[in-house]
Amino acid sequence: MKKNGLILLSTVLMLFYSCSKDDNNPPQDNQADSVLFSNLHAPQITDYTQNPPLASGPFVKFDFSSGDITNSDSDWDIAFRGTTILVNGGTATGIEEAPERNGIAGAYLVNGLFSEINDINTQGFIQDGPNGLAIPTGSGNGWYTYDSSLAAIYPIPGKVLVLKTADGKYAKMEILSYYKDAPEIITQDIALEDLRYYTFNYVYLDDANATSF
Amino acid sequence: MRLGLVYLFILFSLGLSGQNPGVSTDSINPENLDPVVISATRTQRQLSSLPMPTQFIPQKEIEAINAIRLTDLLSEQTGLITVPDFGGGQGIQMQGLDSQYTLVMIDGVPLIGRSAGTLDLSRITVGNIKQIEIVRGASSSLYGNEALGGIINIITQEPKFGKTTRIDYRAGSLSTHDLRGQYAERNEVSQWSVFLNRLSSSGYDLIADDALQTVEPYRNHTAQIKYKGDLNPLTKIQLSGRFYNQSQDYRASSTLTGDSEINEFNTTLHLSRQPMPNWTQEFEWYTTRYRAEEFLNDEFGDLFSQSMFDQWFSRPELRLIRESDNKGTWIGGLGLTYQKLSRTDFYGAPEFYAPYAYAQYDKDIQDKLNLVIGARYDIHNEYASAFSPKLALRYKINRNIALKSSVGYGFKTPDFRQLYFDFTNATAGYTVLGYNAVPVRLPELQAAGNILNLTVPLSEFDDPLRPERSVAMNLGLDVKLSSDVKWNLNLFRNDIRDLIDTRVIAQKTNGQNVFSYYNLSRVYTQGLESDFSARLTPNLNLSLGYQFLMARDKDAEDAFKNGAVFARLPPSSPVSRLESTDYLGLVNRSKHSANAKLFFNDPKWKLNGSIRVTYRSAFGLFDTNGNNYLDRYDTLVPGYAILDFSLNKQLNKKFRLGTGIDNLLDFTNPAQLSNIPGRLIYATLTFNLNKT
Repeated sequence: MKKNGLILLSTVLMLFYSCSKDDNNPPQDNQADSVLFSNLHAPQITDYTQNPPLASGPFVKFDFSSGDITNSDSDWDIAFRGTTILVNGGTATGIEEAPERNGIAGAYLVNGLFSEINDINTQGFIQDGPNGLAIPTGSGNGWYTYDSSLAAIYPIPGKVLVLKTADGKYAKMEILSYYKDAPEIITQDIALEDLRYYTFNYVYLDDANATSF
Repeated sequence: MRLGLVYLFILFSLGLSGQNPGVSTDSINPENLDPVVISATRTQRQLSSLPMPTQFIPQKEIEAINAIRLTDLLSEQTGLITVPDFGGGQGIQMQGLDSQYTLVMIDGVPLIGRSAGTLDLSRITVGNIKQIEIVRGASSSLYGNEALGGIINIITQEPKFGKTTRIDYRAGSLSTHDLRGQYAERNEVSQWSVFLNRLSSSGYDLIADDALQTVEPYRNHTAQIKYKGDLNPLTKIQLSGRFYNQSQDYRASSTLTGDSEINEFNTTLHLSRQPMPNWTQEFEWYTTRYRAEEFLNDEFGDLFSQSMFDQWFSRPELRLIRESDNKGTWIGGLGLTYQKLSRTDFYGAPEFYAPYAYAQYDKDIQDKLNLVIGARYDIHNEYASAFSPKLALRYKINRNIALKSSVGYGFKTPDFRQLYFDFTNATAGYTVLGYNAVPVRLPELQAAGNILNLTVPLSEFDDPLRPERSVAMNLGLDVKLSSDVKWNLNLFRNDIRDLIDTRVIAQKTNGQNVFSYYNLSRVYTQGLESDFSARLTPNLNLSLGYQFLMARDKDAEDAFKNGAVFARLPPSSPVSRLESTDYLGLVNRSKHSANAKLFFNDPKWKLNGSIRVTYRSAFGLFDTNGNNYLDRYDTLVPGYAILDFSLNKQLNKKFRLGTGIDNLLDFTNPAQLSNIPGRLIYATLTFNLNKT
């Protein structure tokens, strides 16, 4: 009877093991007309002797109409440095070495599948200003969460950035990775060495009167 | 305790047992008479006659497994999971509720010192314990605050008649030495006892290549004294005191080293008087203080940081009990809880005053039905009052089957930290403010230019933070399959609202956040507990326990249902939408947990021992794929089993020798389970002398 009891227990335990594994992933969201941009390098220098730590270094600017990074002082839409993303619209916020904003760009964040975010809320765009950035910084506030155990940055799944460009056209983008070559697993080494490389999907609409993507 | 009363209750219980063959839940020796417990109703009741799910761990089991700390023992019970705290302490999860929702008491009075919510149960020695009583399901109708998930009551030993001396010593792996000494005297009119314990260990290190140990070396001391006697023929007095001290090395890096120290005392004065038959008056005054301090010095020996936590708790309580064979038992109580805390990183030195009153009626209706109905009203100087009713019924279907059900309310007031914390992390720069600290401290931070913008308007802090409330339902079955085989089953559900959580309330100019606490979550835990025990032969007992658990956040369920939860599968790729079935529930909850224990006893060779295995299925510690929810694509902590073994031999009347191996298979998971040190081998020696 003792044997039977133990056999029964182990059978029950094995049943639990065997029914818990099921690896059918739900379908991935792939939008046909989206453009993938890989490894936009946005370095940042951080001075940890300051409290709070002080970030510095030039921002890397991106222009949706050309689909590439740019050195132009006026023809840029968004700019990256570390996890901070600026838009070319609004007023200076006091961030060191921020490029001068001379466009009408703005942004807002929505939750959903990239392919399903089609409506443009033309009244919803926020610009950078004294109350903060259009794309907020800080873990969980904007586009990323910070995992303190690895010191890793993960783009929040389902966060889509809807953007108005410097000249009033529209784009939507989804950040896929913050690490070089968008690795599947962020190890301690990758988190320390290969950070600040943006990989993102975007759709650009060359039409200032558009109301949907 | 309350000798006269005890006799009465024993008489009463004997009266009951004649008509009530009953089922014992967890006794390792079914030959025992039905055990008597006190926690479920605050009166002496036979375990098998209780309508609420109540578990009993006798001293015999504690001795058979050579346990030294309370955690050793509780982690082997069905549905109880030990959960490590970041401070190195260990709390207990019961019916899927966190350790902060279980009231832990010694001889009916609560332990304090939850510096981060968890009460560290490894602080309690089991050397002088008579029995442990566990009541599942909200018990705030009798015990008020914190008894939301249930209660654990540790009953200390009563001296035997005559003079008793006992010395226990256990030595084992990790340079662990546990030395205990007891002396007690008892005659017809009075009794007293003293108990001393010293435990020291070199700690352990699961991750070798860093400067820190997983658990740093520590040593602690416990002393307990008790006296009981007659003041006059009608009045008994009981005095008890317990002292605890622990010091542990404290290390933050290879250069920052220091010490952490805990000092605790508990004192109880208990008077009981029997002015006339069937009536008992009791007065109890309990005072306790828990003080923890720690400091770090840098490599030059200069003070780098220090912190302190100092809590006082005092509670006078008056009780009146009226008992009669045919009119049921009434118990009423009136009391006041006073609490004070001073602590580093605190806004002020808050004080709580909480008067309360409760009443309970316990009656057998005919032979088959037992009814316990009670309620308690708690008033608080900081929160809304709480009313906590409870109803429990036990119905005997026939001689071998009984149905039990209970419904009760539970509550937990926000703790000091959730109200008065005022903490800014020196390296990362974020700030945590207690709810009551926000209206004062946030404008101050604003005036100092530290705040970029408020994400939550200050007006949201006008109303006080509400206590967390729950409704607990338990429905169970006690089945006596034969005189040697018993089975009980319990279905439970705990619905909790106003669960207190943290959120970002403002952004700072340094890019970091200000956090505070708020009433948000509605969560529930539900599941099934099953305990089966069988006496296979007169000297061999088997018990099997199993718990199935679902612990979920209702708002998270809604988010999954509305298709608002996504994951990157694989990481760094476009997202997928998750479905309701992908939701795993709250962190640190295993869907399945089980235990199997075999106790053996050989009277001829005077040997006894045990083989025990506990299992817990996979669980998530935190979200690993960035969507803030635990889903089945997150990296989980794999399920695991721990195997323990013990063997004891009674050498002669005075000496007993024991040995054993805890975690025989040397299971460890250094990265995720810091509370499991690997295989531990030990030996024990007991000297016991009783002269009458």
